[in-house]
Amino acid sequence: MKHQIKQIFHSPKFVVGFIVFVFLLLMAIIYPMVSAVGPLESMSKIKFLAPGTYINVEDTLNAEAGVIELDVVANRVIAALTEDEKTKMVEWLELYGGVEEGSIDIGDAETLINTWNSKYDEDIRVTGTTALRKEYQRLAARVENLLESSGVSIAEKNENGELEIVKSYKTKEFVGVNDIANKINFPLGTDNFGRDVLTELTSAIGTSLRLGLIAGLIATLIGLTFGLVAGYCGGVVDNLITFLTNLFTVIPSFILLVLISYSLGQGSRSVEIVAIVIGLTGWPWTARSVRSQVVSLRNRDHVNLSKLSGHSMPRIIVMDILPYVASYVVMALILQISSGILAEAQLSMLGLGPSTTKMATLGLMMNWSQQASAWQTGAWWSFLPVILSIALVTFSLNLMNTGLDQVFNPQLRDS
Amino acid sequence: MGKVILEVKDLKTKYITRFKEAVYAVDGVSLKIEEGKSLGIAGESGCGKSTLALSLMGYYFAPLHYTSGEIIIDGVNISGMKADTVRKNILGNEIAYIPQAAMNALNPTQKIIKFLEDVIHAHDPKKSKNDIYDMAVERFADLGLPKEVLQKHAVELSGGMKQRTVIAISTILSPKVLIADEPSSALDVTSQKMVIKMMRELMEKGYIKSMIFITHELPLLYNVTDDIMVMYAGQMVEKGTAKEMVFDPIHPYSKGLMGSIIVPEEGTRDVKLEAIPGTPPNLKNPPKGCRFAARCKYAKPECGVYEISEKKFGENRMHRCIYDVDHLREVYGE
Amino acid sequence: MKGYVKYYGQKVLWYVLTLIIALALNFFLPRMMPGDPVAALASDEVANMTEKSAIEKVYQDYRERFGLDKSMPEQFVTYLGNLFQGDMGTSFSQYPRGVSEIIGESILWTIGLQVPAIIVGWLIGNLLGAIAAYTRRGFDKIVMPLFMFISNMPAFGMAIIMVWVFAVTLKVLPASGGYGFDLLPSFSFEYVGSVLRHYQLPFWTMVLITIGGQAIGMRSMSIYELNADYVKYSRFLGIRDNKIVRYVFRNAMLPQITGLALSLGTMVGGNIVAEMIFSYPGIGTTMLGAITGGDYPLISGCTLMITIMVLIANLVVEILYGIIDPRVKAAQQEA
Repeated sequence: MKHQIKQIFHSPKFVVGFIVFVFLLLMAIIYPMVSAVGPLESMSKIKFLAPGTYINVEDTLNAEAGVIELDVVANRVIAALTEDEKTKMVEWLELYGGVEEGSIDIGDAETLINTWNSKYDEDIRVTGTTALRKEYQRLAARVENLLESSGVSIAEKNENGELEIVKSYKTKEFVGVNDIANKINFPLGTDNFGRDVLTELTSAIGTSLRLGLIAGLIATLIGLTFGLVAGYCGGVVDNLITFLTNLFTVIPSFILLVLISYSLGQGSRSVEIVAIVIGLTGWPWTARSVRSQVVSLRNRDHVNLSKLSGHSMPRIIVMDILPYVASYVVMALILQISSGILAEAQLSMLGLGPSTTKMATLGLMMNWSQQASAWQTGAWWSFLPVILSIALVTFSLNLMNTGLDQVFNPQLRDS
Repeated sequence: MGKVILEVKDLKTKYITRFKEAVYAVDGVSLKIEEGKSLGIAGESGCGKSTLALSLMGYYFAPLHYTSGEIIIDGVNISGMKADTVRKNILGNEIAYIPQAAMNALNPTQKIIKFLEDVIHAHDPKKSKNDIYDMAVERFADLGLPKEVLQKHAVELSGGMKQRTVIAISTILSPKVLIADEPSSALDVTSQKMVIKMMRELMEKGYIKSMIFITHELPLLYNVTDDIMVMYAGQMVEKGTAKEMVFDPIHPYSKGLMGSIIVPEEGTRDVKLEAIPGTPPNLKNPPKGCRFAARCKYAKPECGVYEISEKKFGENRMHRCIYDVDHLREVYGE
Repeated sequence: MKGYVKYYGQKVLWYVLTLIIALALNFFLPRMMPGDPVAALASDEVANMTEKSAIEKVYQDYRERFGLDKSMPEQFVTYLGNLFQGDMGTSFSQYPRGVSEIIGESILWTIGLQVPAIIVGWLIGNLLGAIAAYTRRGFDKIVMPLFMFISNMPAFGMAIIMVWVFAVTLKVLPASGGYGFDLLPSFSFEYVGSVLRHYQLPFWTMVLITIGGQAIGMRSMSIYELNADYVKYSRFLGIRDNKIVRYVFRNAMLPQITGLALSLGTMVGGNIVAEMIFSYPGIGTTMLGAITGGDYPLISGCTLMITIMVLIANLVVEILYGIIDPRVKAAQQEA
C-alpha cells in the first residue's frame, strides 16, 4: 500500500494532473475569500466590461498632474477614429497619396497619422460620386479637428449660474495611477451582469467541483454495488444487472438527464439535486468495470477459502474482494467526477442546469455568456476562461487517472 | 566429425535498462554444432539461456545489444552483417527461432496460411500463393499436422496444436539451425511427447540441419539431444554428450542439477534428491571469479579471485571449475 | 453462416428490446416526477396568467390533449399507437406544426452533419494515433499533449472557440445557421454553396473533437499491440516492418471500434450541444428551442429521435465489428 502510494507520486502524469488540480482547488477556495468583490455581486450596470483596471474619472481630475513628453495626439486621434474611418484613410492614401498598396499598417497609429498629415491634399481630384468626395472631405475635417484639440478645461456653475473655468489641463498632462483614490481591477473583466469574472469563476470552479464530487460519489457507489453484486453472484442476478447496465450504456445518459431535469421543473433544480440526478445516470460505466474485475477475482483461492469457512456473502464481498477492487474504484471515482462536471456544463447550456441565483457553476456561467451573445460581441473574457477552466479541471482529473492506471496496470506504461 | 553447421565464438551480449545500466546476460559463450546433431542447453531461470537464444539469431532488438563475439552459420559469419541483410537473408531461412510460449506468438486475427504466405514472401517475393499452399500442405502432412489447420485462425487451435504449428512455420524454409526456446514447457505430457517427436522428425527428414533445444527440464534433454550444455549466470559451465552429462557430470553445478532429477534406471531407489541452495547472482555486477562460488559446496577462497576459463577434457568435453577433473572426481567420492 | 444469423439475430432482438424500454422511459419519466404533471407541462404557458379560471382552462385543455384523465397504461398504449403512425403529437411552441414534421426536417441536418464528422474524425484520429505510436519520437511528443488537451475540452467549448475565432474575429466563415438567412432552400448553386459554407465550422469542430479522443486511445492500443509476442515472432521470421505494422493496426483497430460503440452516446450528446452553439438547424437547436419554449411534445420527440439515432448507430457498429473480427466468426462456428 505504502509502496503503491510512492509509485503513484512518482508517476509524472499523476503528479502533473495532481498539481494542476490542487492549484485549481486552492484558487477556488482562496480567491473568493480574498477578493474585494463577491462572486455574484453585480458591480456594474454596463454589460461586459473588458478586463483591465478601471479608475474613477473624478479622481483623475483631483489628482496631481504632471507633464510627460509623449506624443499623445496620434494615439488619441486613432482611438477616436472608427475602423471604418481608418480604413478610408488608408484607401485614400493608396489611391491618391502615392502610397504603395498594403504598405500601411492600420494598427500603427503614429505612421498612419503622420503619413496622412504629410500626404493629404484636399485639392487632389477624387474619382467617384459626389458623396464619396464629401466623405473624404468630412474625414479630413474630422482628423484635423481631433489633431487640433489641445487641452481641456473643466467649468462649473458658480453662484450666478454662469459657467466658470475651474481647472485647465494641458494636452500632455498625465496623472499617476497610484494617486487615484478609487480604482478597481477586473483581471478578467465582467460578465453581462456586471460581476467580476475572476471571482465568479473561481467560486464557480468550487461549486462545480462540489457538484462533481456529489455526482461522482453517487455514481461510483451505485456502480460499485451493482458491479460487486453482479460479479460475485453470477447467474440470474448477474444477467439482470448486466442487461440493465448495457441498457443504460446504450441509451445516452445525456437524454435521460434532459428528460429528468426538464421534468423536475425549474423550482426543484438546486445544485445538489442536479448533482444527484447526474450521479443516478452515470453509473453504468463503473458497474461494468467493477463487475469484470470481480468476476476475475471470485475464483481466487482466498475467496474460496472464505466460502469454505462459512463466511457470509456480504462479509466475503467486503473483506476479500473489495480491497482488490479498490484501485478501480478510485479511478472510476475520478472519472465520474470529471464526467459529472462536464454533464452539468452541457445541461446548463441547454438551460436545464441548476436554477439558482446564489451560486455560479461553470455551466451556468457558460449559459449566461451564451444568452448575452458574448461571442458575437467579442466579449471573450466571459467565456474563454470558463471553457479553459472546464478543460483544465477535466484534464487534470483525467491525467491523474491515467497516471493511476499506469501504476496499477504496468503493461500500460508507455516506455 | 561432420561439417560444423553452427559455430559461436565468445559471444557477449547485454541488456541496457531504462536507467542506462548494463546487464551482462550472455558473457562469453562458445559452442560448435555439427550437421545432423542437436545441442541441449540447460540451466536455471535467469541464467541467460533465453537471451542466448535471442542473441544467436544475429538480430538485436532494444534493449538487447551486441557487444562482441562471432556467430558463424555454415561458414558465414553473420556477426558483422548489416541488420537489414540479416533480416532479409538470415532470419527465417538460415536460422529460425521458436519462442517461449509459442501459443501467443501467432497473430490472433490472421489465418495460418496467410501468415505462411507472409513469411515466405519475405524471403522469396515471387512465389505464387498456390505454390505456397501446396508446399504448406505437403510439409504439414509430413509433420503430422492436418491441412485444415492452414485455414484456421490461431484462436481456433488447441495449445499443443498451436505449438506444433509454430514449429512447422518456423521451419518452413528449412533453416540450417533451429533454436527452440522451451518448446514443450507449457504443455500437457501428451502434447509434449508429440512436440518432441515432431522435432526429431524434422532432424531426421533433413528439414533442419541442426537444433538447439533450450529448457530447464533436464529429463527431457536426455531423450532428445545429442549433446548437453549447462549454463550458469551468462556463462557455460560444462559441456558434453547427453549420456556423459547425465551420468558423469563434473562441474559442481551440473552435479547439483543432475542430483535433483531422477533417471529411472536400476539402483535409483536409494538415490537422494539434492537441491542447490541460494539464487543466481545479479548480472548487472557479476561477481569476480567463479560465479557459482557463493552457492558451491566445494568452494575455496581462490574461487572468488581468479577468472576461470573453459577447460577441455575427455573427448570434446569442457568445464569451468578451478579444480581439475580428477580432483573433482575425488571430492565426489567416485 | 448459420452461426452468424444466430449472433446477429440476438443482437437485433436486444436492440429492439432496448428501444421499447427507451420508449417507455421517454414516456413515463416525466410523468413520474413529483407534482402535477400538467402544472409542470403548462408552467411556462400559465406563468404570466393570474386569473384562476383561465389557468384552470389551460390545465383542462392539457389534460384532454394528453389524455391525462385516462389511466397510465391506457395513455401509454395511445402513445405507442400514435407513434407507429408517425404521429408524435403537436408542437406547442410552433403550433400548429406537428412534432414529426419539425423533427423530420431537423434530423436530416443533424445526420448530414454528425455522421460524416464522426466517421472522418474517427478515421483521422486513429491514423494519427497509430502514427504517433509507431514513430514515438518527434511526432508523438508534440501530438500527444496537444490531443490530450483537446480531448478534454467539451464539444461546445470547442464550438464556441471556433465560432469566436473564425466567424467573429477573423470573419472568414459564417457564425450561425445552416444557410444564409436570405436564402430559401432550393437546388440552386447559390443555396448549395451557402449550405457548404455554413457546414464548415460545425463539421470541422466535431471532427477535431473526435480526433482528439480517438488519437489518444488508438495510440495506447497501438503501443500495447506493438509490444505483443506475435510482433517479435514475425520479426524473427524475417517479415518486414511494413507488413508487421499492418497486423498491429488491424488488431488495435478492433477495440477502437468497440470503443466507438460505447462512446457514441456521449459523442452525439456533445455534438448536439455544439449544434446549438452554431444555431445549426439540426435536432440540437430544435431541442433547445423546445426546452426554452416549454414545448413538451417536441422535447419528447427530440429525445426519442436522438435515442433511436444512437441505437441504430450502435447496432451498425456492432454488426461491422462482427464482420471484421475473425475471432467472432470463429466463436460462432465453434458453437
